[in-house]
Amino acid sequence: MIKEIEPAPKGSEYDFYFGPAHPGSGNFGVKLKLEGEVVVSARADPGYLHRGFEKLMEYRTPIQNAVLSDRLCILEPLNWNLIHAEAVDELMGIDIPERAKYLRVIMAELSRIQSHIIWYGVFSKGVGFDTGFKMAFGYRDYIMDLFELITGGRVYPAGYICPGGVRRDFPKDAEAKILKVLDKLKDLIKLEELENPAMNARAKGVGVLKLKDAIRLGATGPVIRGSGKKTDVRKDEPYEIYDRLDFEVPVRKEGDAYARYWIGIDEIKQSIKIVKQALKELPDGEVIESSLKKPKLKAKIPEGEVYVRNEISRGEAGIYMVSNGDVSPYRTKVRGPDFLHMIPVLEYLLKGVQIADVPAVYWSLNICPADMDR
Amino acid sequence: MVKKETEFLKKLETKFKVKGRVQKERRIWLSISKDKLIEICKWMKENGYVHLSAISVTDWLKDGKYELTYHLWSYDDKILVTIKTKISRNDPKIDSVTQIWGNNAQIHERELHELFGVNFKGNNDLLPLFLEDWKGPAPFRKDFDWRDFVRKEFYDKKNEREMVYFD
Repeated sequence: MIKEIEPAPKGSEYDFYFGPAHPGSGNFGVKLKLEGEVVVSARADPGYLHRGFEKLMEYRTPIQNAVLSDRLCILEPLNWNLIHAEAVDELMGIDIPERAKYLRVIMAELSRIQSHIIWYGVFSKGVGFDTGFKMAFGYRDYIMDLFELITGGRVYPAGYICPGGVRRDFPKDAEAKILKVLDKLKDLIKLEELENPAMNARAKGVGVLKLKDAIRLGATGPVIRGSGKKTDVRKDEPYEIYDRLDFEVPVRKEGDAYARYWIGIDEIKQSIKIVKQALKELPDGEVIESSLKKPKLKAKIPEGEVYVRNEISRGEAGIYMVSNGDVSPYRTKVRGPDFLHMIPVLEYLLKGVQIADVPAVYWSLNICPADMDR
Repeated sequence: MVKKETEFLKKLETKFKVKGRVQKERRIWLSISKDKLIEICKWMKENGYVHLSAISVTDWLKDGKYELTYHLWSYDDKILVTIKTKISRNDPKIDSVTQIWGNNAQIHERELHELFGVNFKGNNDLLPLFLEDWKGPAPFRKDFDWRDFVRKEFYDKKNEREMVYFD
Protein backbone atom coordinates (compact mmCIF):
# COMPACT_ATOMS: atom_id res chain seq x y z
CA MET A 1 0.00 0.00 0.00
CA ILE A 2 2.78 2.38 0.92
CA LYS A 3 4.52 1.92 -2.43
CA GLU A 4 1.57 3.26 -4.38
CA ILE A 5 1.85 6.65 -2.76
CA GLU A 6 4.42 8.88 -4.33
CA PRO A 7 7.29 9.35 -1.89
CA ALA A 8 7.77 12.76 -0.36
CA PRO A 9 10.47 14.88 -2.02
CA LYS A 10 13.88 14.70 -0.43
CA GLY A 11 14.68 17.29 2.18
CA SER A 12 11.06 17.65 3.21
CA GLU A 13 11.67 16.17 6.64
CA TYR A 14 9.84 17.67 9.56
CA ASP A 15 9.69 17.05 13.28
CA PHE A 16 6.64 15.68 15.02
CA TYR A 17 6.31 15.33 18.75
CA PHE A 18 4.23 12.36 19.94
CA GLY A 19 3.43 12.91 23.61
CA PRO A 20 4.17 13.63 26.43
CA ALA A 21 0.58 13.49 27.69
CA HIS A 22 -0.99 12.26 24.50
CA PRO A 23 -3.99 9.97 25.04
CA GLY A 24 -2.29 7.52 22.73
CA SER A 25 1.03 7.48 24.53
CA GLY A 26 0.58 7.73 28.25
CA ASN A 27 3.05 9.99 29.99
CA PHE A 28 5.78 9.56 27.50
CA GLY A 29 7.03 11.36 24.44
CA VAL A 30 8.62 10.27 21.18
CA LYS A 31 10.35 12.75 18.90
CA LEU A 32 9.59 11.62 15.38
CA LYS A 33 11.25 12.79 12.20
CA LEU A 34 8.84 12.38 9.33
CA GLU A 35 9.15 12.50 5.57
CA GLY A 36 5.66 12.76 4.21
CA GLU A 37 3.82 10.21 6.31
CA VAL A 38 6.73 7.88 6.92
CA VAL A 39 8.81 7.93 10.08
CA VAL A 40 12.47 8.41 9.23
CA SER A 41 13.80 8.27 12.75
CA ALA A 42 12.43 8.20 16.27
CA ARG A 43 13.96 9.26 19.53
CA ALA A 44 12.34 8.43 22.84
CA ASP A 45 12.02 11.32 25.26
CA PRO A 46 11.40 9.85 28.72
CA GLY A 47 11.45 11.62 32.06
CA TYR A 48 7.91 12.94 32.32
CA LEU A 49 7.16 10.49 35.13
CA HIS A 50 10.59 10.37 36.75
CA ARG A 51 10.11 10.39 40.51
CA GLY A 52 13.42 8.93 41.63
CA PHE A 53 12.08 5.84 43.40
CA GLU A 54 15.50 4.29 43.73
CA LYS A 55 16.68 7.28 45.72
CA LEU A 56 13.45 7.55 47.74
CA MET A 57 13.83 3.94 48.84
CA GLU A 58 17.22 4.70 50.37
CA TYR A 59 15.51 6.99 52.85
CA ARG A 60 12.79 4.56 53.94
CA THR A 61 12.39 1.26 55.74
CA PRO A 62 11.13 -1.87 53.93
CA ILE A 63 7.68 -1.45 55.45
CA GLN A 64 7.42 2.03 53.96
CA ASN A 65 9.01 0.88 50.72
CA ALA A 66 6.38 -1.83 50.31
CA VAL A 67 3.79 0.93 49.95
CA LEU A 68 6.09 2.90 47.69
CA SER A 69 6.66 -0.09 45.42
CA ASP A 70 2.98 -0.02 44.35
CA ARG A 71 3.63 3.19 42.56
CA LEU A 72 6.34 1.72 40.36
CA CYS A 73 3.70 0.79 37.85
CA ILE A 74 0.12 1.98 37.79
CA LEU A 75 -1.10 -1.01 35.84
CA GLU A 76 0.31 -3.80 37.99
CA PRO A 77 1.14 -2.59 41.48
CA LEU A 78 0.76 -6.03 43.05
CA ASN A 79 3.49 -7.55 40.92
CA TRP A 80 5.91 -4.82 41.97
CA ASN A 81 4.83 -5.35 45.56
CA LEU A 82 5.77 -8.98 45.16
CA ILE A 83 9.22 -8.31 43.74
CA HIS A 84 10.07 -5.85 46.47
CA ALA A 85 8.81 -8.21 49.16
CA GLU A 86 10.84 -11.10 47.72
CA ALA A 87 14.01 -9.01 47.72
CA VAL A 88 13.56 -8.06 51.38
CA ASP A 89 12.58 -11.63 52.34
CA GLU A 90 15.74 -12.96 50.78
CA LEU A 91 17.96 -10.37 52.45
CA MET A 92 16.37 -10.97 55.84
CA GLY A 93 16.30 -14.74 55.37
CA ILE A 94 12.59 -15.04 56.02
CA ASP A 95 10.68 -18.20 55.14
CA ILE A 96 7.18 -17.14 54.38
CA PRO A 97 4.18 -19.33 55.27
CA GLU A 98 2.77 -21.63 52.63
CA ARG A 99 -0.63 -19.96 52.50
CA ALA A 100 1.00 -16.58 51.94
CA LYS A 101 2.83 -17.96 48.91
CA TYR A 102 -0.45 -19.04 47.37
CA LEU A 103 -2.14 -15.75 48.14
CA ARG A 104 0.79 -13.88 46.62
CA VAL A 105 0.56 -15.87 43.41
CA ILE A 106 -3.22 -15.51 43.16
CA MET A 107 -2.99 -11.73 43.59
CA ALA A 108 -0.07 -11.41 41.19
CA GLU A 109 -1.92 -13.40 38.54
CA LEU A 110 -5.13 -11.39 38.98
CA SER A 111 -3.01 -8.30 38.56
CA ARG A 112 -1.47 -9.78 35.42
CA ILE A 113 -4.93 -10.51 34.00
CA GLN A 114 -6.16 -6.96 34.53
CA SER A 115 -2.97 -5.56 33.07
CA HIS A 116 -3.43 -7.69 29.96
CA ILE A 117 -7.05 -6.56 29.74
CA ILE A 118 -5.93 -2.94 29.76
CA TRP A 119 -3.38 -3.82 27.14
CA TYR A 120 -6.14 -5.22 24.94
CA GLY A 121 -8.14 -2.04 25.52
CA VAL A 122 -5.46 0.49 24.72
CA PHE A 123 -4.23 -1.52 21.77
CA SER A 124 -7.77 -1.55 20.38
CA LYS A 125 -7.97 2.18 20.91
CA GLY A 126 -4.62 2.63 19.17
CA VAL A 127 -5.80 0.85 16.04
CA GLY A 128 -9.17 2.58 16.01
CA PHE A 129 -11.39 -0.11 17.52
CA ASP A 130 -13.06 1.87 20.27
CA THR A 131 -15.50 -0.85 21.29
CA GLY A 132 -12.60 -2.98 22.44
CA PHE A 133 -11.34 -0.17 24.63
CA LYS A 134 -14.67 0.29 26.40
CA MET A 135 -15.22 -3.43 26.76
CA ALA A 136 -11.82 -3.95 28.29
CA PHE A 137 -12.19 -1.22 30.87
CA GLY A 138 -15.61 -2.54 31.78
CA TYR A 139 -14.30 -6.02 32.46
CA ARG A 140 -11.24 -4.71 34.27
CA ASP A 141 -13.55 -3.17 36.82
CA TYR A 142 -14.62 -6.60 38.05
CA ILE A 143 -11.04 -7.28 39.04
CA MET A 144 -10.72 -3.84 40.56
CA ASP A 145 -13.69 -4.76 42.76
CA LEU A 146 -11.86 -7.89 43.88
CA PHE A 147 -8.80 -5.83 44.75
CA GLU A 148 -10.94 -3.47 46.76
CA LEU A 149 -12.47 -6.38 48.63
CA ILE A 150 -9.15 -8.05 49.39
CA THR A 151 -6.61 -5.25 49.73
CA GLY A 152 -8.76 -2.21 50.40
CA GLY A 153 -7.50 -0.28 47.40
CA ARG A 154 -8.82 -0.46 43.87
CA VAL A 155 -5.68 0.48 41.99
CA TYR A 156 -2.97 0.70 44.63
CA PRO A 157 -3.06 -2.06 47.26
CA ALA A 158 -0.91 -0.05 49.68
CA GLY A 159 1.71 -2.73 50.13
CA TYR A 160 -0.67 -5.69 50.40
CA ILE A 161 2.13 -8.08 49.52
CA CYS A 162 4.67 -7.08 52.14
CA PRO A 163 7.91 -8.55 53.48
CA GLY A 164 7.01 -11.74 55.33
CA GLY A 165 3.83 -12.64 53.49
CA VAL A 166 0.68 -10.69 52.82
CA ARG A 167 -0.96 -8.06 55.00
CA ARG A 168 -4.24 -9.84 55.65
CA ASP A 169 -6.09 -13.00 54.79
CA PHE A 170 -8.82 -13.27 52.18
CA PRO A 171 -12.27 -12.25 53.43
CA LYS A 172 -14.76 -15.08 53.73
CA ASP A 173 -16.43 -14.82 50.35
CA ALA A 174 -13.33 -13.83 48.35
CA GLU A 175 -12.71 -17.25 46.80
CA ALA A 176 -16.24 -17.59 45.45
CA LYS A 177 -16.12 -14.04 44.11
CA ILE A 178 -12.80 -14.62 42.35
CA LEU A 179 -14.19 -17.71 40.62
CA LYS A 180 -17.26 -15.77 39.58
CA VAL A 181 -15.15 -13.02 38.04
CA LEU A 182 -12.96 -15.55 36.23
CA ASP A 183 -16.11 -17.02 34.71
CA LYS A 184 -17.20 -13.60 33.55
CA LEU A 185 -13.86 -13.06 31.85
CA LYS A 186 -14.66 -15.96 29.54
CA ASP A 187 -17.11 -13.68 27.76
CA LEU A 188 -14.40 -11.09 27.23
CA ILE A 189 -12.01 -13.67 25.82
CA LYS A 190 -14.72 -14.91 23.48
CA LEU A 191 -15.18 -11.36 22.22
CA GLU A 192 -11.46 -10.84 21.88
CA GLU A 193 -11.09 -14.00 19.87
CA LEU A 194 -13.69 -12.90 17.32
CA GLU A 195 -10.93 -11.19 15.32
CA ASN A 196 -12.18 -7.84 14.19
CA PRO A 197 -11.08 -7.65 10.52
CA ALA A 198 -10.33 -3.92 10.67
CA MET A 199 -8.13 -4.47 13.69
CA ASN A 200 -6.33 -7.39 12.08
CA ALA A 201 -5.60 -5.34 8.99
CA ARG A 202 -4.02 -2.66 11.15
CA ALA A 203 -1.92 -5.09 13.19
CA LYS A 204 -0.74 -7.79 10.79
CA GLY A 205 2.78 -7.28 9.48
CA VAL A 206 3.23 -4.04 11.41
CA GLY A 207 6.26 -3.48 13.62
CA VAL A 208 8.03 -6.75 12.89
CA LEU A 209 10.74 -7.57 15.42
CA LYS A 210 13.01 -10.44 14.46
CA LEU A 211 14.29 -12.72 17.21
CA LYS A 212 17.90 -11.68 16.60
CA ASP A 213 17.00 -8.03 17.12
CA ALA A 214 14.78 -8.81 20.09
CA ILE A 215 17.71 -10.43 21.90
CA ARG A 216 20.11 -7.70 20.83
CA LEU A 217 17.82 -4.95 22.10
CA GLY A 218 17.12 -6.68 25.41
CA ALA A 219 13.43 -7.39 24.85
CA THR A 220 11.74 -9.71 27.34
CA GLY A 221 8.29 -11.04 28.15
CA PRO A 222 5.51 -10.96 25.54
CA VAL A 223 7.71 -9.02 23.12
CA ILE A 224 10.41 -11.68 22.85
CA ARG A 225 7.82 -14.47 23.00
CA GLY A 226 6.02 -12.83 20.08
CA SER A 227 9.27 -13.14 18.15
CA GLY A 228 9.60 -16.85 18.80
CA LYS A 229 11.67 -17.29 21.95
CA LYS A 230 10.12 -19.49 24.59
CA THR A 231 11.24 -17.86 27.79
CA ASP A 232 9.40 -16.94 30.94
CA VAL A 233 10.94 -16.17 34.33
CA ARG A 234 8.14 -18.16 35.99
CA LYS A 235 9.41 -21.26 34.16
CA ASP A 236 13.14 -20.50 33.93
CA GLU A 237 13.53 -19.51 37.53
CA PRO A 238 10.39 -20.50 39.42
CA TYR A 239 9.65 -18.27 42.41
CA GLU A 240 6.94 -18.68 45.04
CA ILE A 241 4.90 -21.74 43.95
CA TYR A 242 5.18 -21.53 40.17
CA ASP A 243 7.13 -24.79 39.96
CA ARG A 244 4.09 -26.66 41.29
CA LEU A 245 1.63 -25.13 38.86
CA ASP A 246 0.74 -26.41 35.44
CA PHE A 247 0.64 -23.74 32.74
CA GLU A 248 1.87 -23.10 29.22
CA VAL A 249 4.02 -20.31 27.85
CA PRO A 250 2.40 -19.00 24.66
CA VAL A 251 4.87 -18.36 21.83
CA ARG A 252 4.40 -16.98 18.31
CA LYS A 253 6.87 -16.71 15.50
CA GLU A 254 5.70 -13.76 13.40
CA GLY A 255 7.09 -10.99 15.62
CA ASP A 256 4.54 -8.40 14.50
CA ALA A 257 1.96 -6.42 16.44
CA TYR A 258 -0.67 -9.07 15.73
CA ALA A 259 1.46 -11.82 17.26
CA ARG A 260 2.11 -9.80 20.41
CA TYR A 261 -1.58 -8.98 20.71
CA TRP A 262 -2.43 -12.68 20.60
CA ILE A 263 0.18 -13.52 23.19
CA GLY A 264 -1.64 -11.14 25.52
CA ILE A 265 -4.93 -12.97 25.03
CA ASP A 266 -3.35 -16.40 25.45
CA GLU A 267 -1.68 -15.29 28.65
CA ILE A 268 -4.99 -14.22 30.15
CA LYS A 269 -6.21 -17.79 29.63
CA GLN A 270 -3.09 -19.23 31.26
CA SER A 271 -3.39 -16.86 34.21
CA ILE A 272 -7.00 -17.89 34.75
CA LYS A 273 -5.80 -21.50 34.79
CA ILE A 274 -3.13 -20.63 37.38
CA VAL A 275 -5.53 -18.80 39.68
CA LYS A 276 -7.99 -21.69 39.57
CA GLN A 277 -5.28 -24.21 40.42
CA ALA A 278 -3.93 -22.10 43.24
CA LEU A 279 -7.41 -21.61 44.70
CA LYS A 280 -8.01 -25.35 44.57
CA GLU A 281 -4.79 -26.17 46.43
CA LEU A 282 -4.93 -23.19 48.80
CA PRO A 283 -3.73 -24.49 52.19
CA ASP A 284 -4.79 -23.18 55.59
CA GLY A 285 -2.52 -21.39 58.00
CA GLU A 286 -0.83 -18.12 58.73
CA VAL A 287 -0.54 -15.45 56.06
CA ILE A 288 2.42 -13.58 57.47
CA GLU A 289 5.59 -14.64 59.22
CA SER A 290 5.04 -14.29 62.96
CA SER A 291 7.97 -11.93 63.64
CA LEU A 292 6.68 -9.50 61.03
CA LYS A 293 3.06 -9.45 62.14
CA LYS A 294 3.79 -6.33 64.08
CA PRO A 295 6.95 -5.13 62.38
CA LYS A 296 9.47 -3.19 64.38
CA LEU A 297 10.11 0.23 62.95
CA LYS A 298 13.84 0.09 63.55
CA ALA A 299 14.38 -3.51 62.40
CA LYS A 300 17.72 -3.79 60.64
CA ILE A 301 18.21 -5.48 57.28
CA PRO A 302 21.18 -7.87 57.39
CA GLU A 303 24.17 -7.03 55.23
CA GLY A 304 24.08 -8.51 51.74
CA GLU A 305 22.93 -8.13 48.20
CA VAL A 306 20.30 -9.85 46.09
CA TYR A 307 18.99 -9.67 42.57
CA VAL A 308 15.39 -10.83 42.32
CA ARG A 309 13.71 -11.41 38.98
CA ASN A 310 10.01 -11.86 38.32
CA GLU A 311 7.83 -12.12 35.27
CA ILE A 312 5.31 -9.31 35.18
CA SER A 313 2.79 -8.86 32.39
CA ARG A 314 5.16 -6.77 30.29
CA GLY A 315 8.32 -8.79 30.74
CA GLU A 316 11.19 -9.39 33.06
CA ALA A 317 11.26 -7.18 36.11
CA GLY A 318 13.95 -7.16 38.74
CA ILE A 319 15.16 -5.48 41.87
CA TYR A 320 18.81 -5.36 42.87
CA MET A 321 18.99 -4.55 46.55
CA VAL A 322 22.11 -3.88 48.58
CA SER A 323 22.09 -3.57 52.34
CA ASN A 324 24.90 -2.49 54.63
CA GLY A 325 23.11 -3.54 57.79
CA ASP A 326 21.05 -0.40 58.26
CA VAL A 327 17.28 0.04 58.68
CA SER A 328 16.81 1.01 55.05
CA PRO A 329 18.37 -0.52 51.95
CA TYR A 330 21.66 1.06 50.92
CA ARG A 331 20.82 0.90 47.26
CA THR A 332 17.85 -0.33 45.28
CA LYS A 333 18.02 -0.68 41.54
CA VAL A 334 14.75 -1.24 39.77
CA ARG A 335 14.89 -3.02 36.45
CA GLY A 336 11.65 -2.49 34.58
CA PRO A 337 10.94 -4.27 31.32
CA ASP A 338 9.70 -1.09 29.71
CA PHE A 339 13.01 0.67 30.10
CA LEU A 340 14.23 -1.40 27.17
CA HIS A 341 10.93 -1.81 25.34
CA MET A 342 10.23 1.91 25.28
CA ILE A 343 13.63 3.18 24.32
CA PRO A 344 15.78 0.89 22.14
CA VAL A 345 13.04 -1.46 20.92
CA LEU A 346 10.52 1.28 20.15
CA GLU A 347 13.09 3.49 18.44
CA TYR A 348 14.12 0.56 16.29
CA LEU A 349 10.58 -0.53 15.39
CA LEU A 350 9.29 2.93 14.51
CA LYS A 351 11.83 3.43 11.73
CA GLY A 352 10.10 3.28 8.35
CA VAL A 353 6.61 2.97 9.80
CA GLN A 354 3.65 5.03 8.57
CA ILE A 355 2.52 7.71 11.02
CA ALA A 356 -0.91 6.06 11.30
CA ASP A 357 0.75 2.83 12.45
CA VAL A 358 2.73 4.47 15.26
CA PRO A 359 0.04 3.78 17.92
CA ALA A 360 -0.31 0.18 16.73
CA VAL A 361 3.42 -0.45 17.12
CA TYR A 362 3.61 1.53 20.33
CA TRP A 363 0.79 -0.29 22.09
CA SER A 364 1.66 -3.70 20.76
CA LEU A 365 4.72 -3.53 23.03
CA ASN A 366 2.42 -3.31 26.07
CA ILE A 367 3.99 -0.19 27.42
CA CYS A 368 3.72 1.54 30.77
CA PRO A 369 5.88 4.64 31.21
CA ALA A 370 5.79 4.46 34.99
CA ASP A 371 8.25 1.64 35.52
CA MET A 372 10.57 2.97 32.84
CA ASP A 373 10.92 6.44 34.36
CA ARG A 374 10.73 5.21 37.95
CA MET B 1 21.64 -28.46 43.74
CA VAL B 2 24.27 -25.95 42.73
CA LYS B 3 26.51 -28.31 40.75
CA LYS B 4 26.00 -26.53 37.43
CA GLU B 5 26.77 -23.16 39.02
CA THR B 6 29.91 -24.37 40.83
CA GLU B 7 31.28 -25.89 37.64
CA PHE B 8 30.71 -22.73 35.66
CA LEU B 9 32.29 -20.60 38.36
CA LYS B 10 35.35 -22.85 38.46
CA LYS B 11 35.70 -22.47 34.72
CA LEU B 12 35.58 -18.69 35.04
CA GLU B 13 38.00 -18.63 37.95
CA THR B 14 40.66 -20.69 36.21
CA LYS B 15 40.31 -18.90 32.90
CA PHE B 16 40.43 -15.32 34.14
CA LYS B 17 42.00 -15.71 37.60
CA VAL B 18 39.14 -13.95 39.36
CA LYS B 19 37.19 -14.65 42.52
CA GLY B 20 33.52 -15.36 42.78
CA ARG B 21 30.90 -17.09 44.84
CA VAL B 22 27.79 -19.13 44.25
CA GLN B 23 25.03 -17.52 46.27
CA LYS B 24 22.33 -20.08 45.55
CA GLU B 25 20.75 -21.85 42.64
CA ARG B 26 21.07 -19.77 39.44
CA ARG B 27 23.07 -16.97 41.07
CA ILE B 28 26.80 -16.37 40.65
CA TRP B 29 28.57 -13.24 41.87
CA LEU B 30 31.94 -12.35 40.41
CA SER B 31 34.31 -9.61 41.55
CA ILE B 32 36.85 -8.45 39.01
CA SER B 33 39.20 -5.54 38.39
CA LYS B 34 38.04 -3.00 35.86
CA ASP B 35 40.77 -3.79 33.30
CA LYS B 36 39.37 -7.27 32.79
CA LEU B 37 35.77 -6.15 32.26
CA ILE B 38 35.69 -6.07 28.47
CA GLU B 39 37.63 -9.31 28.10
CA ILE B 40 35.32 -11.20 30.46
CA CYS B 41 32.12 -9.68 29.08
CA LYS B 42 33.14 -10.62 25.54
CA TRP B 43 33.76 -14.19 26.62
CA MET B 44 30.48 -14.29 28.52
CA LYS B 45 28.49 -13.16 25.51
CA GLU B 46 30.17 -15.71 23.26
CA ASN B 47 29.22 -18.37 25.79
CA GLY B 48 25.51 -17.73 25.80
CA TYR B 49 25.10 -14.80 28.20
CA VAL B 50 23.36 -12.74 25.54
CA HIS B 51 20.85 -11.01 27.78
CA LEU B 52 22.14 -8.03 29.73
CA SER B 53 19.46 -7.78 32.38
CA ALA B 54 20.65 -4.58 34.04
CA ILE B 55 23.61 -2.43 34.91
CA SER B 56 23.71 -0.71 38.25
CA VAL B 57 25.97 1.51 40.32
CA THR B 58 26.33 1.44 44.09
CA ASP B 59 27.92 4.48 45.66
CA TRP B 60 30.20 3.42 48.54
CA LEU B 61 30.79 6.86 49.98
CA LYS B 62 33.06 5.79 52.85
CA ASP B 63 35.45 3.84 50.61
CA GLY B 64 35.38 6.51 47.92
CA LYS B 65 34.38 3.92 45.34
CA TYR B 66 31.65 3.30 42.84
CA GLU B 67 30.71 -0.32 42.41
CA LEU B 68 29.35 -1.23 39.00
CA THR B 69 27.31 -4.38 38.65
CA TYR B 70 26.43 -6.10 35.39
CA HIS B 71 23.65 -8.67 35.60
CA LEU B 72 23.90 -11.20 32.78
CA TRP B 73 21.43 -13.94 32.02
CA SER B 74 21.90 -16.98 29.84
CA TYR B 75 18.80 -18.42 28.20
CA ASP B 76 20.54 -21.80 27.80
CA ASP B 77 22.33 -22.23 31.14
CA LYS B 78 19.59 -20.44 33.09
CA ILE B 79 22.15 -18.81 35.37
CA LEU B 80 22.36 -15.15 36.32
CA VAL B 81 25.95 -14.01 36.62
CA THR B 82 26.60 -10.67 38.26
CA ILE B 83 29.94 -9.09 37.46
CA LYS B 84 31.06 -6.49 39.97
CA THR B 85 33.89 -4.05 39.57
CA LYS B 86 35.01 -1.03 41.55
CA ILE B 87 36.15 2.31 40.19
CA SER B 88 37.27 5.50 41.83
CA ARG B 89 34.47 7.79 42.91
CA ASN B 90 36.27 11.05 42.19
CA ASP B 91 37.18 10.14 38.65
CA PRO B 92 34.55 7.60 37.61
CA LYS B 93 35.71 6.25 34.27
CA ILE B 94 35.15 2.83 32.78
CA ASP B 95 35.13 1.19 29.36
CA SER B 96 31.71 0.98 27.82
CA VAL B 97 30.17 -2.41 27.09
CA THR B 98 28.21 -1.03 24.13
CA GLN B 99 30.68 -2.79 21.82
CA ILE B 100 29.34 -6.05 23.23
CA TRP B 101 25.65 -5.54 23.95
CA GLY B 102 24.93 -2.58 21.66
CA ASN B 103 21.83 -0.49 22.20
CA ASN B 104 20.77 -2.45 25.24
CA ALA B 105 23.92 -1.49 27.15
CA GLN B 106 23.91 1.97 25.68
CA ILE B 107 20.64 2.95 27.30
CA HIS B 108 21.61 1.56 30.70
CA GLU B 109 24.88 3.46 30.62
CA ARG B 110 23.16 6.63 29.53
CA GLU B 111 20.94 6.42 32.60
CA LEU B 112 23.84 5.81 34.97
CA HIS B 113 25.85 8.63 33.45
CA GLU B 114 23.02 10.98 34.24
CA LEU B 115 22.22 9.73 37.73
CA PHE B 116 25.73 8.98 39.01
CA GLY B 117 28.03 10.86 36.65
CA VAL B 118 29.95 7.78 35.54
CA ASN B 119 31.82 8.30 32.27
CA PHE B 120 31.60 5.35 29.93
CA LYS B 121 34.45 5.48 27.46
CA GLY B 122 33.26 4.43 24.03
CA ASN B 123 29.58 5.21 24.52
CA ASN B 124 28.82 7.92 21.99
CA ASP B 125 25.38 8.91 23.27
CA LEU B 126 25.36 10.00 26.89
CA LEU B 127 22.83 12.81 26.62
CA PRO B 128 20.49 13.44 29.59
CA LEU B 129 17.66 10.94 29.74
CA PHE B 130 15.19 11.76 32.52
CA LEU B 131 16.12 15.13 33.90
CA GLU B 132 15.37 18.12 31.79
CA ASP B 133 17.47 21.26 32.29
CA TRP B 134 19.18 19.75 35.32
CA LYS B 135 22.18 21.76 36.40
CA GLY B 136 22.85 20.31 39.85
CA PRO B 137 25.22 17.45 40.69
CA ALA B 138 24.48 13.84 39.79
CA PRO B 139 21.35 13.26 41.92
CA PHE B 140 21.78 9.62 42.96
CA ARG B 141 25.18 10.14 44.60
CA LYS B 142 25.09 9.49 48.32
CA ASP B 143 26.44 12.93 49.21
CA PHE B 144 23.64 14.65 47.32
CA ASP B 145 20.89 15.58 49.77
CA TRP B 146 17.82 16.33 47.73
CA ARG B 147 15.96 17.85 50.68
CA ASP B 148 18.73 20.38 51.14
CA PHE B 149 18.93 21.05 47.43
CA VAL B 150 15.20 21.69 47.10
CA ARG B 151 15.23 24.05 50.11
CA LYS B 152 18.08 26.06 48.67
CA GLU B 153 16.83 26.19 45.13
CA PHE B 154 13.09 26.47 45.40
CA TYR B 155 11.97 27.61 48.87
CA ASP B 156 12.09 30.94 50.58
CA LYS B 157 12.61 30.99 54.34
CA LYS B 158 10.84 34.30 54.70
CA ASN B 159 7.74 33.13 52.89
CA GLU B 160 5.15 32.20 55.49
CA ARG B 161 3.89 29.17 53.60
CA GLU B 162 7.32 27.71 52.95
CA MET B 163 8.82 28.28 56.39
CA VAL B 164 7.82 24.81 57.55
CA TYR B 165 10.35 23.20 55.25
CA PHE B 166 13.18 24.80 57.21
CA ASP B 167 12.37 23.41 60.65
